[in-house]
Amino acid sequence: MFQRELIGPHYTSNAFEESVRNPSVNSSKCSPAIELVGVSYGYAKKDLPVINDITFSIPQGQWVALVGANGCGKSTLVKLMNALLPKGEGTIKVKGLELQSDTIGEIRKTIGMVFQNPDNQFIGATVEDDIVFGLEGQCLSIEVMEERVKSYAAKLGIADLLDKHPSELSGGQKQRVAIASILSMEPEVVIFDEASSMLDEKTRNDLLNILSDMHKSGRYTIISITHDAQEIAASERVLVLQEGKLIADRTPTELFQDEKILEMSHVIAPFAFQLTTELHKYGLDISIPNCEKELTEALWPLHLRK
Amino acid sequence: MAITFEKVNYEYDANSMWGQAALQGVNLHLESGVLAGIAGATGSGKSTLLQMFNGILKPTSGTVRVLDITLRGGEKAPKLHQLRKRVGLVFQFPEQQLFEDTVEKDLCFGPINFGCSMDEAKDRARSAMEKMGLDVSLLSRNPFQLSGGQMRKVAIASVLAMDPEILVLDEPTATLDPVSRAELIQLLHRLCREEGRTVIIVTHRMDELLPFANQWVILHEGRTVFQGTVKALIEQADQMEAYGIVIPQSIRYWRAISEKFGLSGEDPCLSAEAMSKRIAQLVNSEDV
Repeated sequence: MFQRELIGPHYTSNAFEESVRNPSVNSSKCSPAIELVGVSYGYAKKDLPVINDITFSIPQGQWVALVGANGCGKSTLVKLMNALLPKGEGTIKVKGLELQSDTIGEIRKTIGMVFQNPDNQFIGATVEDDIVFGLEGQCLSIEVMEERVKSYAAKLGIADLLDKHPSELSGGQKQRVAIASILSMEPEVVIFDEASSMLDEKTRNDLLNILSDMHKSGRYTIISITHDAQEIAASERVLVLQEGKLIADRTPTELFQDEKILEMSHVIAPFAFQLTTELHKYGLDISIPNCEKELTEALWPLHLRK
Repeated sequence: MAITFEKVNYEYDANSMWGQAALQGVNLHLESGVLAGIAGATGSGKSTLLQMFNGILKPTSGTVRVLDITLRGGEKAPKLHQLRKRVGLVFQFPEQQLFEDTVEKDLCFGPINFGCSMDEAKDRARSAMEKMGLDVSLLSRNPFQLSGGQMRKVAIASVLAMDPEILVLDEPTATLDPVSRAELIQLLHRLCREEGRTVIIVTHRMDELLPFANQWVILHEGRTVFQGTVKALIEQADQMEAYGIVIPQSIRYWRAISEKFGLSGEDPCLSAEAMSKRIAQLVNSEDV
Protein backbone atom coordinates (compact mmCIF):
# COMPACT_ATOMS: atom_id res chain seq x y z
CA MET A 1 0.00 0.00 0.00
CA PHE A 2 2.96 2.17 0.53
CA GLN A 3 3.85 1.58 -3.11
CA ARG A 4 0.37 2.61 -4.18
CA GLU A 5 0.98 6.04 -2.83
CA LEU A 6 3.98 6.42 -5.04
CA ILE A 7 2.26 5.53 -8.25
CA GLY A 8 0.50 8.82 -8.97
CA PRO A 9 1.50 11.03 -11.88
CA HIS A 10 4.51 12.47 -10.19
CA TYR A 11 5.53 15.11 -12.47
CA THR A 12 2.31 16.93 -12.81
CA SER A 13 1.73 20.18 -11.00
CA ASN A 14 0.25 18.65 -7.86
CA ALA A 15 3.09 16.19 -7.47
CA PHE A 16 4.83 18.26 -4.88
CA GLU A 17 1.90 18.07 -2.43
CA GLU A 18 1.97 14.36 -2.87
CA SER A 19 5.59 14.14 -1.92
CA VAL A 20 4.89 16.12 1.23
CA ARG A 21 2.30 13.56 2.22
CA ASN A 22 4.76 10.82 1.50
CA PRO A 23 6.56 10.07 4.76
CA SER A 24 9.73 8.73 3.17
CA VAL A 25 10.35 11.95 1.30
CA ASN A 26 9.32 14.06 4.25
CA SER A 27 11.65 12.52 6.79
CA SER A 28 14.73 13.18 4.70
CA LYS A 29 13.78 16.73 3.79
CA CYS A 30 16.07 18.28 6.35
CA SER A 31 19.26 16.76 4.91
CA PRO A 32 20.53 17.69 1.44
CA ALA A 33 19.96 15.26 -1.40
CA ILE A 34 23.67 14.99 -2.09
CA GLU A 35 26.51 16.08 0.12
CA LEU A 36 30.20 15.70 -0.71
CA VAL A 37 32.99 16.55 1.70
CA GLY A 38 36.63 16.47 0.60
CA VAL A 39 36.07 13.85 -2.08
CA SER A 40 39.17 12.78 -4.05
CA TYR A 41 39.66 9.90 -6.43
CA GLY A 42 42.39 8.56 -8.70
CA TYR A 43 42.12 5.63 -11.11
CA ALA A 44 45.63 4.44 -10.40
CA LYS A 45 47.71 5.27 -7.37
CA LYS A 46 50.58 6.79 -9.30
CA ASP A 47 48.35 9.00 -11.43
CA LEU A 48 47.23 12.45 -10.46
CA PRO A 49 43.83 12.44 -8.82
CA VAL A 50 40.99 12.68 -11.34
CA ILE A 51 38.83 14.20 -8.64
CA ASN A 52 40.59 16.52 -6.29
CA ASP A 53 39.16 17.52 -2.88
CA ILE A 54 35.60 18.37 -3.88
CA THR A 55 33.06 19.67 -1.39
CA PHE A 56 29.50 20.76 -2.16
CA SER A 57 25.94 20.00 -1.22
CA ILE A 58 22.80 19.91 -3.30
CA PRO A 59 19.44 20.52 -1.63
CA GLN A 60 16.47 18.31 -2.49
CA GLY A 61 14.69 19.43 -5.65
CA GLN A 62 17.52 21.46 -7.14
CA TRP A 63 18.52 21.19 -10.81
CA VAL A 64 22.28 21.32 -11.13
CA ALA A 65 24.30 21.40 -14.33
CA LEU A 66 27.78 19.91 -14.06
CA VAL A 67 30.06 21.33 -16.73
CA GLY A 68 33.71 21.30 -17.79
CA ALA A 69 36.04 20.34 -20.64
CA ASN A 70 36.26 16.76 -21.97
CA GLY A 71 38.22 14.72 -19.46
CA CYS A 72 37.85 17.04 -16.46
CA GLY A 73 36.29 14.38 -14.24
CA LYS A 74 32.54 15.03 -14.52
CA SER A 75 31.54 11.45 -15.20
CA THR A 76 33.95 10.13 -12.60
CA LEU A 77 32.40 12.42 -10.01
CA VAL A 78 28.83 11.26 -10.59
CA LYS A 79 29.88 7.62 -10.76
CA LEU A 80 31.34 8.01 -7.28
CA MET A 81 27.96 9.17 -5.99
CA ASN A 82 26.27 5.82 -6.51
CA ALA A 83 29.34 3.65 -6.11
CA LEU A 84 29.80 2.69 -9.74
CA LEU A 85 33.42 3.39 -8.88
CA PRO A 86 35.08 2.22 -5.66
CA LYS A 87 35.18 4.69 -2.81
CA GLY A 88 38.01 7.21 -2.78
CA GLU A 89 38.84 9.72 -0.08
CA GLY A 90 36.30 11.95 1.66
CA THR A 91 32.65 11.32 2.46
CA ILE A 92 29.60 11.19 0.23
CA LYS A 93 26.14 11.41 1.75
CA VAL A 94 22.94 10.79 -0.16
CA LYS A 95 19.80 11.95 1.64
CA GLY A 96 21.80 12.03 4.83
CA LEU A 97 22.99 8.47 4.46
CA GLU A 98 26.75 8.03 4.19
CA LEU A 99 27.95 5.95 1.25
CA GLN A 100 29.62 2.82 2.64
CA SER A 101 29.70 -0.79 1.58
CA ASP A 102 26.57 -1.59 3.62
CA THR A 103 24.56 1.38 2.32
CA ILE A 104 25.31 0.98 -1.41
CA GLY A 105 22.05 -0.90 -2.04
CA GLU A 106 19.95 1.75 -0.35
CA ILE A 107 21.74 4.60 -2.11
CA ARG A 108 21.51 3.04 -5.57
CA LYS A 109 17.74 2.86 -5.08
CA THR A 110 17.75 6.61 -4.50
CA ILE A 111 19.85 7.54 -7.52
CA GLY A 112 18.92 6.86 -11.13
CA MET A 113 21.36 7.40 -13.97
CA VAL A 114 20.74 8.07 -17.64
CA PHE A 115 23.81 7.74 -19.85
CA GLN A 116 24.95 9.32 -23.07
CA ASN A 117 24.24 6.40 -25.34
CA PRO A 118 20.90 4.72 -24.60
CA ASP A 119 22.06 1.64 -26.53
CA ASN A 120 24.45 0.94 -23.70
CA GLN A 121 21.69 0.57 -21.15
CA PHE A 122 19.22 -1.51 -23.11
CA ILE A 123 18.65 -4.96 -21.67
CA GLY A 124 15.18 -6.07 -22.66
CA ALA A 125 14.02 -7.48 -25.99
CA THR A 126 11.11 -5.05 -25.99
CA VAL A 127 10.62 -1.60 -24.54
CA GLU A 128 8.27 -3.02 -21.92
CA ASP A 129 10.77 -5.70 -20.86
CA ASP A 130 13.35 -3.06 -20.54
CA ILE A 131 11.28 -0.94 -18.18
CA VAL A 132 10.22 -4.00 -16.20
CA PHE A 133 13.81 -5.18 -15.72
CA GLY A 134 14.59 -2.49 -13.19
CA LEU A 135 11.27 -2.97 -11.43
CA GLU A 136 11.82 -6.72 -11.09
CA GLY A 137 15.13 -5.92 -9.50
CA GLN A 138 13.21 -3.99 -6.86
CA CYS A 139 10.98 -7.02 -6.20
CA LEU A 140 7.72 -5.18 -6.82
CA SER A 141 4.40 -6.97 -7.26
CA ILE A 142 3.05 -7.53 -10.75
CA GLU A 143 0.21 -5.05 -10.26
CA VAL A 144 2.59 -2.33 -9.18
CA MET A 145 4.90 -3.06 -12.10
CA GLU A 146 2.07 -2.92 -14.61
CA GLU A 147 0.83 0.31 -13.15
CA ARG A 148 4.28 1.88 -13.29
CA VAL A 149 4.99 0.78 -16.85
CA LYS A 150 1.66 2.25 -17.89
CA SER A 151 2.01 5.54 -16.12
CA TYR A 152 5.64 6.26 -17.01
CA ALA A 153 5.23 5.14 -20.63
CA ALA A 154 2.34 7.58 -20.90
CA LYS A 155 4.31 10.39 -19.30
CA LEU A 156 7.21 10.00 -21.70
CA GLY A 157 5.02 9.47 -24.73
CA ILE A 158 6.24 5.95 -25.47
CA ALA A 159 3.01 4.04 -24.76
CA ASP A 160 2.78 3.06 -28.43
CA LEU A 161 6.29 1.68 -28.44
CA LEU A 162 6.00 -0.83 -25.60
CA ASP A 163 6.05 -3.86 -27.93
CA LYS A 164 8.91 -2.64 -30.09
CA HIS A 165 12.43 -3.99 -30.17
CA PRO A 166 14.99 -1.35 -29.23
CA SER A 167 16.53 -1.47 -32.72
CA GLU A 168 13.27 -0.22 -34.20
CA LEU A 169 13.50 3.04 -32.29
CA SER A 170 15.10 6.33 -33.24
CA GLY A 171 17.79 7.86 -31.03
CA GLY A 172 15.34 10.22 -29.36
CA GLN A 173 12.84 7.43 -28.68
CA LYS A 174 15.57 5.25 -27.20
CA GLN A 175 16.57 8.04 -24.87
CA ARG A 176 12.92 8.40 -23.76
CA VAL A 177 12.76 4.68 -23.06
CA ALA A 178 15.97 4.88 -21.04
CA ILE A 179 14.49 7.74 -19.02
CA ALA A 180 11.19 5.91 -18.52
CA SER A 181 13.11 2.86 -17.26
CA ILE A 182 14.94 4.97 -14.74
CA LEU A 183 11.98 7.10 -13.59
CA SER A 184 9.73 4.07 -13.15
CA MET A 185 12.04 2.93 -10.37
CA GLU A 186 11.12 6.24 -8.72
CA PRO A 187 14.53 7.52 -7.77
CA GLU A 188 14.74 10.80 -5.89
CA VAL A 189 17.97 11.87 -7.54
CA VAL A 190 18.34 11.53 -11.31
CA ILE A 191 21.70 11.98 -12.98
CA PHE A 192 21.89 12.64 -16.71
CA ASP A 193 25.39 11.98 -18.04
CA GLU A 194 25.48 13.90 -21.35
CA ALA A 195 22.11 12.39 -22.18
CA SER A 196 21.46 14.99 -24.87
CA SER A 197 24.78 15.03 -26.67
CA MET A 198 23.89 12.37 -29.24
CA LEU A 199 20.46 13.76 -30.02
CA ASP A 200 19.55 16.13 -32.81
CA GLU A 201 18.36 19.63 -32.07
CA LYS A 202 14.67 18.76 -32.02
CA THR A 203 14.91 15.72 -29.80
CA ARG A 204 17.28 17.68 -27.60
CA ASN A 205 14.51 20.22 -27.03
CA ASP A 206 12.12 17.38 -26.17
CA LEU A 207 14.57 16.10 -23.58
CA LEU A 208 14.91 19.58 -22.16
CA ASN A 209 11.12 19.74 -21.75
CA ILE A 210 11.17 16.43 -19.91
CA LEU A 211 13.85 17.74 -17.56
CA SER A 212 11.89 20.95 -16.98
CA ASP A 213 8.73 19.02 -16.19
CA MET A 214 10.61 16.79 -13.79
CA HIS A 215 12.08 19.83 -12.10
CA LYS A 216 8.75 21.64 -11.82
CA SER A 217 7.23 18.64 -10.07
CA GLY A 218 9.65 19.30 -7.20
CA ARG A 219 10.04 15.61 -6.72
CA TYR A 220 13.45 15.11 -8.29
CA THR A 221 16.91 16.37 -7.57
CA ILE A 222 18.53 16.59 -11.00
CA ILE A 223 22.20 16.57 -11.85
CA SER A 224 22.90 16.92 -15.55
CA ILE A 225 26.33 16.68 -17.07
CA THR A 226 26.16 18.73 -20.22
CA HIS A 227 27.87 21.01 -22.70
CA ASP A 228 24.60 22.29 -24.10
CA ALA A 229 24.10 26.02 -23.51
CA GLN A 230 20.32 25.73 -23.47
CA GLU A 231 20.36 22.95 -20.95
CA ILE A 232 22.73 24.88 -18.71
CA ALA A 233 20.55 27.98 -19.03
CA ALA A 234 17.48 26.02 -17.89
CA SER A 235 19.15 24.71 -14.74
CA GLU A 236 19.29 26.53 -11.40
CA ARG A 237 22.92 26.15 -10.55
CA VAL A 238 26.12 25.35 -12.39
CA LEU A 239 29.10 23.52 -10.95
CA VAL A 240 32.23 23.92 -13.05
CA LEU A 241 34.99 21.31 -12.91
CA GLN A 242 38.48 21.80 -14.21
CA GLU A 243 41.08 19.08 -13.95
CA GLY A 244 39.18 17.45 -11.12
CA LYS A 245 38.73 20.60 -9.07
CA LEU A 246 35.55 22.53 -8.45
CA ILE A 247 36.40 25.99 -9.79
CA ALA A 248 33.02 27.69 -9.80
CA ASP A 249 29.56 27.32 -8.29
CA ARG A 250 27.13 29.90 -9.66
CA THR A 251 23.91 30.58 -11.54
CA PRO A 252 23.78 30.03 -15.31
CA THR A 253 23.48 33.78 -15.97
CA GLU A 254 26.55 34.50 -13.85
CA LEU A 255 28.45 31.80 -15.71
CA PHE A 256 27.49 33.05 -19.18
CA GLN A 257 28.61 36.56 -18.32
CA ASP A 258 32.00 35.53 -16.98
CA GLU A 259 34.28 35.06 -19.98
CA LYS A 260 37.13 33.70 -17.90
CA ILE A 261 35.15 30.90 -16.29
CA LEU A 262 33.41 30.18 -19.59
CA GLU A 263 36.76 29.64 -21.21
CA MET A 264 37.98 27.42 -18.40
CA SER A 265 34.80 25.35 -18.47
CA HIS A 266 34.85 24.97 -22.28
CA VAL A 267 31.26 26.17 -22.39
CA ILE A 268 30.02 28.44 -25.15
CA ALA A 269 27.27 30.81 -24.06
CA PRO A 270 23.89 30.88 -25.84
CA PHE A 271 23.89 33.08 -28.92
CA ALA A 272 22.02 35.92 -27.22
CA PHE A 273 24.66 36.11 -24.45
CA GLN A 274 27.51 36.04 -26.97
CA LEU A 275 25.90 38.82 -28.92
CA THR A 276 25.35 40.98 -25.83
CA THR A 277 28.97 40.49 -24.75
CA GLU A 278 30.23 41.40 -28.22
CA LEU A 279 27.94 44.44 -28.48
CA HIS A 280 29.26 45.63 -25.14
CA LYS A 281 32.72 45.83 -26.73
CA TYR A 282 31.30 48.37 -29.19
CA GLY A 283 29.86 50.39 -26.34
CA LEU A 284 26.33 49.15 -26.91
CA ASP A 285 24.85 48.02 -23.62
CA ILE A 286 21.59 46.15 -23.84
CA SER A 287 20.08 43.57 -21.52
CA ILE A 288 20.23 39.98 -22.71
CA PRO A 289 17.37 39.45 -25.14
CA ASN A 290 15.07 36.46 -24.72
CA CYS A 291 14.20 36.45 -28.38
CA GLU A 292 15.15 38.24 -31.56
CA LYS A 293 12.29 40.72 -31.18
CA GLU A 294 13.64 41.94 -27.86
CA LEU A 295 16.99 42.53 -29.51
CA THR A 296 15.66 44.71 -32.30
CA GLU A 297 13.46 46.57 -29.83
CA ALA A 298 16.48 47.29 -27.65
CA LEU A 299 18.56 48.40 -30.62
CA TRP A 300 16.02 50.60 -32.33
CA PRO A 301 15.99 53.48 -29.82
CA LEU A 302 19.83 53.44 -29.78
CA HIS A 303 19.68 53.74 -33.55
CA LEU A 304 17.17 56.61 -33.51
CA ARG A 305 19.16 58.49 -30.93
CA LYS A 306 21.80 59.29 -33.54
CA MET B 1 32.46 19.83 -60.36
CA ALA B 2 33.38 17.59 -57.44
CA ILE B 3 30.08 15.80 -56.96
CA THR B 4 27.00 15.57 -59.15
CA PHE B 5 23.92 13.47 -58.47
CA GLU B 6 21.21 13.11 -61.08
CA LYS B 7 17.87 11.63 -60.06
CA VAL B 8 19.53 9.26 -57.68
CA ASN B 9 17.39 6.68 -55.93
CA TYR B 10 18.65 4.31 -53.33
CA GLU B 11 16.73 1.45 -51.79
CA TYR B 12 17.95 -0.76 -49.00
CA ASP B 13 17.27 -4.42 -49.86
CA ALA B 14 16.17 -3.30 -53.30
CA ASN B 15 15.56 -6.83 -54.54
CA SER B 16 13.40 -8.02 -51.70
CA MET B 17 9.82 -7.18 -50.81
CA TRP B 18 11.12 -5.33 -47.78
CA GLY B 19 12.90 -2.81 -49.94
CA GLN B 20 12.98 0.56 -48.28
CA ALA B 21 13.64 3.75 -50.19
CA ALA B 22 16.28 5.85 -48.46
CA LEU B 23 16.95 8.37 -51.23
CA GLN B 24 14.44 9.45 -53.84
CA GLY B 25 15.25 11.48 -56.91
CA VAL B 26 18.19 13.24 -55.35
CA ASN B 27 19.85 15.93 -57.45
CA LEU B 28 23.01 17.45 -56.10
CA HIS B 29 25.79 19.68 -57.41
CA LEU B 30 28.81 20.46 -55.32
CA GLU B 31 31.72 22.39 -56.82
CA SER B 32 35.33 21.58 -56.03
CA GLY B 33 36.73 23.49 -53.08
CA VAL B 34 33.46 24.22 -51.28
CA LEU B 35 32.75 23.74 -47.60
CA ALA B 36 29.30 22.22 -47.64
CA GLY B 37 26.97 21.44 -44.76
CA ILE B 38 24.36 18.70 -44.97
CA ALA B 39 21.49 18.92 -42.52
CA GLY B 40 18.26 17.03 -42.00
CA ALA B 41 16.25 15.33 -39.28
CA THR B 42 17.12 11.84 -38.06
CA GLY B 43 16.25 9.32 -40.75
CA SER B 44 16.26 11.85 -43.59
CA GLY B 45 18.93 9.93 -45.51
CA LYS B 46 22.08 11.88 -44.58
CA SER B 47 24.22 8.85 -43.84
CA THR B 48 22.99 7.01 -46.93
CA LEU B 49 23.91 9.99 -49.08
CA LEU B 50 27.32 10.18 -47.45
CA GLN B 51 28.11 6.57 -48.24
CA MET B 52 27.47 7.17 -51.93
CA PHE B 53 30.24 9.73 -52.12
CA ASN B 54 32.90 7.04 -52.26
CA GLY B 55 30.96 4.14 -53.62
CA ILE B 56 30.22 2.21 -50.44
CA LEU B 57 26.62 2.31 -51.61
CA LYS B 58 25.78 2.40 -55.31
CA PRO B 59 22.65 4.03 -56.69
CA THR B 60 19.65 1.79 -57.37
CA SER B 61 18.89 4.11 -60.26
CA GLY B 62 20.17 7.48 -61.45
CA THR B 63 23.72 8.72 -61.89
CA VAL B 64 26.35 9.61 -59.33
CA ARG B 65 29.44 11.45 -60.56
CA VAL B 66 32.25 11.95 -58.10
CA LEU B 67 35.37 13.64 -59.52
CA ASP B 68 35.83 11.85 -62.86
CA ILE B 69 34.20 8.58 -61.84
CA THR B 70 30.63 7.80 -62.78
CA LEU B 71 28.35 5.28 -61.11
CA ARG B 72 25.08 4.47 -62.82
CA GLY B 73 22.21 2.60 -61.25
CA GLY B 74 21.84 -0.91 -62.66
CA GLU B 75 25.27 -0.94 -64.28
CA LYS B 76 28.38 -2.70 -63.11
CA ALA B 77 30.48 -0.27 -61.09
CA PRO B 78 33.93 0.71 -62.39
CA LYS B 79 37.00 0.02 -60.25
CA LEU B 80 36.56 2.03 -57.08
CA HIS B 81 40.11 1.89 -55.75
CA GLN B 82 40.93 5.38 -57.07
CA LEU B 83 37.65 6.81 -55.81
CA ARG B 84 38.25 5.54 -52.30
CA LYS B 85 41.72 7.02 -52.30
CA ARG B 86 40.49 10.41 -53.42
CA VAL B 87 37.40 10.65 -51.25
CA GLY B 88 38.07 10.29 -47.53
CA LEU B 89 35.11 9.35 -45.39
CA VAL B 90 35.10 9.99 -41.65
CA PHE B 91 32.23 8.21 -39.92
CA GLN B 92 30.53 9.10 -36.67
CA PHE B 93 32.75 8.38 -33.69
CA PRO B 94 35.85 7.94 -35.87
CA GLU B 95 37.89 7.17 -32.74
CA GLN B 96 36.25 3.75 -32.82
CA GLN B 97 38.17 2.97 -36.00
CA LEU B 98 41.59 3.36 -34.36
CA PHE B 99 43.22 -0.02 -33.88
CA GLU B 100 47.02 0.11 -33.99
CA ASP B 101 49.28 0.29 -30.96
CA THR B 102 50.84 3.61 -31.89
CA VAL B 103 49.36 6.71 -33.45
CA GLU B 104 51.98 6.61 -36.20
CA LYS B 105 51.11 3.06 -37.29
CA ASP B 106 47.46 4.01 -37.36
CA LEU B 107 48.14 6.98 -39.58
CA CYS B 108 50.40 4.98 -41.93
CA PHE B 109 47.86 2.21 -42.44
CA GLY B 110 45.84 4.02 -45.12
CA PRO B 111 48.73 5.39 -47.21
CA ILE B 112 50.54 2.01 -47.20
CA ASN B 113 47.39 0.27 -48.37
CA PHE B 114 47.19 2.70 -51.23
CA GLY B 115 50.76 1.93 -52.25
CA CYS B 116 52.96 4.44 -50.43
CA SER B 117 56.43 3.48 -49.21
CA MET B 118 56.98 3.37 -45.45
CA ASP B 119 59.01 6.59 -45.52
CA GLU B 120 56.43 8.44 -47.54
CA ALA B 121 53.66 7.15 -45.28
CA LYS B 122 55.54 8.44 -42.25
CA ASP B 123 55.96 11.84 -43.86
CA ARG B 124 52.27 11.97 -44.58
CA ALA B 125 51.44 10.92 -41.03
CA ARG B 126 53.56 13.74 -39.70
CA SER B 127 52.00 16.36 -41.94
CA ALA B 128 48.47 15.12 -41.24
CA MET B 129 49.15 15.51 -37.51
CA GLU B 130 50.32 19.06 -38.06
CA LYS B 131 47.28 19.89 -40.14
CA MET B 132 45.00 18.69 -37.38
CA GLY B 133 46.89 20.83 -34.88
CA LEU B 134 48.25 17.81 -33.02
CA ASP B 135 51.72 17.66 -31.52
CA VAL B 136 53.95 15.26 -33.49
CA SER B 137 55.25 13.88 -30.19
CA LEU B 138 51.93 12.04 -29.93
CA LEU B 139 52.97 9.83 -32.88
CA SER B 140 54.71 7.34 -30.63
CA ARG B 141 51.83 7.20 -28.14
CA ASN B 142 49.19 4.53 -27.89
CA PRO B 143 46.04 6.05 -29.45
CA PHE B 144 43.86 4.62 -26.69
CA GLN B 145 45.63 6.68 -24.07
CA LEU B 146 44.66 9.96 -25.69
CA SER B 147 41.73 12.11 -24.59
CA GLY B 148 38.45 11.87 -26.48
CA GLY B 149 39.09 15.06 -28.44
CA GLN B 150 42.62 13.99 -29.37
CA MET B 151 41.44 10.56 -30.49
CA ARG B 152 38.85 12.20 -32.70
CA LYS B 153 41.50 14.42 -34.29
CA VAL B 154 43.92 11.50 -34.77
CA ALA B 155 41.18 9.53 -36.50
CA ILE B 156 40.49 12.42 -38.85
CA ALA B 157 44.25 12.78 -39.42
CA SER B 158 44.38 9.10 -40.43
CA VAL B 159 41.95 9.89 -43.24
CA LEU B 160 43.83 13.08 -44.15
CA ALA B 161 47.06 11.06 -44.42
CA MET B 162 45.59 9.46 -47.54
CA ASP B 163 45.57 12.97 -49.00
CA PRO B 164 41.97 12.88 -50.25
CA GLU B 165 40.65 15.58 -52.56
CA ILE B 166 37.23 15.36 -50.97
CA LEU B 167 36.82 14.97 -47.23
CA VAL B 168 33.41 13.87 -46.00
CA LEU B 169 32.63 13.84 -42.27
CA ASP B 170 29.56 12.50 -40.48
CA GLU B 171 28.90 14.64 -37.40
CA PRO B 172 32.56 15.16 -36.59
CA THR B 173 31.82 17.31 -33.54
CA ALA B 174 29.21 15.17 -31.76
CA THR B 175 30.04 14.54 -28.07
CA LEU B 176 32.99 16.96 -28.09
CA ASP B 177 32.86 19.88 -25.72
CA PRO B 178 31.89 23.20 -27.32
CA VAL B 179 35.41 24.65 -27.40
CA SER B 180 36.87 21.51 -29.02
CA ARG B 181 33.94 21.60 -31.45
CA ALA B 182 34.70 25.15 -32.53
CA GLU B 183 38.40 24.28 -32.92
CA LEU B 184 37.63 21.28 -35.10
CA ILE B 185 35.32 23.26 -37.37
CA GLN B 186 38.01 25.90 -37.79
CA LEU B 187 40.58 23.24 -38.69
CA LEU B 188 38.26 21.82 -41.33
CA HIS B 189 37.58 25.30 -42.63
CA ARG B 190 41.34 25.85 -42.97
CA LEU B 191 41.75 22.60 -44.95
CA CYS B 192 39.15 23.89 -47.35
CA ARG B 193 40.41 27.46 -47.61
CA GLU B 194 44.16 26.94 -47.63
CA GLU B 195 44.47 23.61 -49.40
CA GLY B 196 41.49 23.81 -51.69
CA ARG B 197 40.03 20.53 -50.50
CA THR B 198 36.31 19.96 -50.82
CA VAL B 199 34.95 19.44 -47.30
CA ILE B 200 31.46 18.07 -46.71
CA ILE B 201 30.11 17.96 -43.18
CA VAL B 202 26.93 16.30 -42.00
CA THR B 203 25.73 18.11 -38.92
CA HIS B 204 22.97 18.35 -36.35
CA ARG B 205 24.27 21.65 -35.13
CA MET B 206 23.91 24.09 -37.96
CA ASP B 207 24.81 27.00 -35.70
CA GLU B 208 28.47 26.13 -35.42
CA LEU B 209 28.94 25.55 -39.15
CA LEU B 210 26.88 28.48 -40.45
CA PRO B 211 29.65 31.10 -40.33
CA PHE B 212 31.92 28.83 -42.40
CA ALA B 213 29.92 26.78 -44.89
CA ASN B 214 29.29 28.31 -48.29
CA GLN B 215 26.87 25.64 -49.49
CA TRP B 216 24.00 23.92 -47.70
CA VAL B 217 22.04 20.83 -48.54
CA ILE B 218 18.90 19.93 -46.61
CA LEU B 219 17.43 16.48 -46.79
CA HIS B 220 13.91 15.53 -45.84
CA GLU B 221 12.56 12.02 -46.13
CA GLY B 222 15.20 11.01 -48.66
CA ARG B 223 14.82 14.04 -50.91
CA THR B 224 16.97 17.12 -51.30
CA VAL B 225 14.57 19.89 -50.34
CA PHE B 226 17.13 22.65 -50.35
CA GLN B 227 20.45 23.28 -51.97
CA GLY B 228 22.19 26.62 -52.16
CA THR B 229 24.02 29.36 -50.34
CA VAL B 230 23.55 30.48 -46.76
CA LYS B 231 21.82 33.57 -48.05
CA ALA B 232 19.23 31.52 -49.91
CA LEU B 233 18.88 29.28 -46.87
CA ILE B 234 18.03 32.23 -44.66
CA GLU B 235 15.36 33.38 -47.11
CA GLN B 236 13.74 29.98 -46.91
CA ALA B 237 14.35 29.43 -43.22
CA ASP B 238 10.64 29.25 -42.40
CA GLN B 239 10.43 25.94 -44.19
CA MET B 240 13.10 24.37 -42.03
CA GLU B 241 10.65 23.52 -39.26
CA ALA B 242 8.60 21.49 -41.70
CA TYR B 243 11.75 19.49 -42.42
CA GLY B 244 12.21 18.72 -38.75
CA ILE B 245 15.05 21.18 -38.25
CA VAL B 246 15.08 23.85 -35.58
CA ILE B 247 15.93 27.26 -37.04
CA PRO B 248 19.38 28.17 -35.68
CA GLN B 249 19.53 31.12 -33.28
CA SER B 250 22.02 33.02 -35.42
CA ILE B 251 19.64 32.88 -38.38
CA ARG B 252 16.74 34.06 -36.24
CA TYR B 253 18.66 37.04 -34.95
CA TRP B 254 20.12 37.95 -38.33
CA ARG B 255 16.72 37.83 -39.96
CA ALA B 256 15.19 40.09 -37.31
CA ILE B 257 18.00 42.61 -37.66
CA SER B 258 18.05 42.60 -41.43
CA GLU B 259 14.27 43.14 -41.55
CA LYS B 260 14.36 45.97 -39.07
CA PHE B 261 17.33 47.71 -40.63
CA GLY B 262 16.63 46.79 -44.24
CA LEU B 263 19.70 44.63 -44.91
CA SER B 264 18.01 41.91 -46.92
CA GLY B 265 20.40 42.29 -49.88
CA GLU B 266 23.48 41.86 -47.75
CA ASP B 267 25.62 38.82 -47.10
CA PRO B 268 24.56 37.51 -43.71
CA CYS B 269 26.77 37.93 -40.62
CA LEU B 270 26.16 34.79 -38.60
CA SER B 271 28.80 34.75 -35.90
CA ALA B 272 28.25 36.84 -32.76
CA GLU B 273 31.40 38.83 -33.60
CA ALA B 274 30.40 39.64 -37.16
CA MET B 275 26.80 40.38 -36.28
CA SER B 276 27.63 42.75 -33.44
CA LYS B 277 30.15 44.54 -35.64
CA ARG B 278 27.46 45.08 -38.25
CA ILE B 279 24.98 46.22 -35.60
CA ALA B 280 27.50 48.67 -34.19
CA GLN B 281 27.99 50.14 -37.66
CA LEU B 282 24.25 50.54 -38.07
CA VAL B 283 23.53 51.96 -34.66
CA ASN B 284 26.50 54.30 -34.56
CA SER B 285 26.22 55.54 -38.13
CA GLU B 286 25.27 59.20 -38.47
CA ASP B 287 23.74 59.13 -41.89
CA VAL B 288 20.50 57.20 -41.53
